[in-house]
Amino acid sequence: MDELILELKQEIIKVLNLQGVKPEDIDNDAPLFGDGLGLDSIDALELIVLLEKNYGIKLEDPGKGREIFGSINIFAKYISENRKK
Amino acid sequence: MKVYIQGIGNISIQNTFRQTGFPEPVWYNESYVRCIDPDFTNYISPNEARRMSKVIKRAIASAKTCIAESSVEMPDAVISGTGLGCIEDTEKFLSAMIDNDEKFLQPTFFIQSTHNTISSQIAINLKCNNHNNTFVQGGISFECALFEAFILFADNKIKSALVGGYDEMTPSYFRILNRIGLWKKKFEGSGNLSNSTTPGTFAGEGSVSVMLSSAKNEKTYAAIEAVEILYQPENIVESIETFLSRNSKKTEDIDLVVMGMNGDVKNDAIYKTISADMFGAKAHAWYKNLSGEYFTSTGFGLWFAANCIKHKYVPSYAALNSHNAGKLQNVLLLNHYQNKNFSLILFSAC
Repeated sequence: MDELILELKQEIIKVLNLQGVKPEDIDNDAPLFGDGLGLDSIDALELIVLLEKNYGIKLEDPGKGREIFGSINIFAKYISENRKK
Repeated sequence: MKVYIQGIGNISIQNTFRQTGFPEPVWYNESYVRCIDPDFTNYISPNEARRMSKVIKRAIASAKTCIAESSVEMPDAVISGTGLGCIEDTEKFLSAMIDNDEKFLQPTFFIQSTHNTISSQIAINLKCNNHNNTFVQGGISFECALFEAFILFADNKIKSALVGGYDEMTPSYFRILNRIGLWKKKFEGSGNLSNSTTPGTFAGEGSVSVMLSSAKNEKTYAAIEAVEILYQPENIVESIETFLSRNSKKTEDIDLVVMGMNGDVKNDAIYKTISADMFGAKAHAWYKNLSGEYFTSTGFGLWFAANCIKHKYVPSYAALNSHNAGKLQNVLLLNHYQNKNFSLILFSAC
């Protein structure tokens, strides 16, 4: 799981172009949206694309993203349980 | 009608950003050159910058600098011209579409690939809810933006306008234009461009923001009296005479003619005709040896002409002849792109 968490953080930083942010700066339990990383709705769309492209997970209900993207730990757990690649 | 230039922000391949007057010229030996960029973190927060391509960052930095220099706090209009818009993000979006078999398309690149995102993002950054428009008209994009501002001033709808010309030259677009012969096969350096007898020029890019106002003050660079855009004029000399006459000027009233010559024999021939037939005894200058060629390079030409008037001299490296420019009361900026789209801009000292 630790490996997946690190990979996920690196991908998020790359895809969302989080300038000056390192993987260790992202708290595994902090919310990705709002107070934590301060991501917004366009970032949510980017993460949905990332899920499908990297892990073969297609979110049929984009509204579910808010729950899945709750924190890095929640996100990684969802991926490990649902990944197709 | 006169509108006054109250501030200019210019990011180019020269050290023009936040520079008073003319900086020492930088000469290039490569025909593909990128801008000398400032530290964008001074103008845009990291969170805002992460979705912005270079052209947007440059546009915002030049706009903010321009506003800071002027006495206008919030423009009544934000009007931009761009030949290519955010071509870098467009390329990323299209490349990803090809690489991923039209799947997994990233929304950010899609949003940023639209041309009108430039004016929009400037306005969002400034929190400006006033008139907003972007012109995408090839080699006269900047002039179209300027022309619209003029119409709005003439109709008394605005008292100030932030007008800009923004373009970036990506490696792939440079290669495409190279294939159609826009760049020199053997480039001998931007400092030697005036002696060139071969086709082609060198590529540039840039971001020029200009604050126009209906009122002048002690900071004013110059006044713009008229802007005209022509498409393949039958007789350019007659067109210029008519333009001057319409603005109560004669050829002899012009102290300096700033030309869009770029060292390409096919491009420069018409300027030589204009010069010989109309302005033989007048001072001539050019600026594309400094800016390189790109769709909105007239913006750099405006910066050049306005600085000549404000600082009352023509730098020797930009002079095309040794005639005296006198008091630099009236300056005419001539440009054309690929011998199709011509523009005339008449400036005067305040």
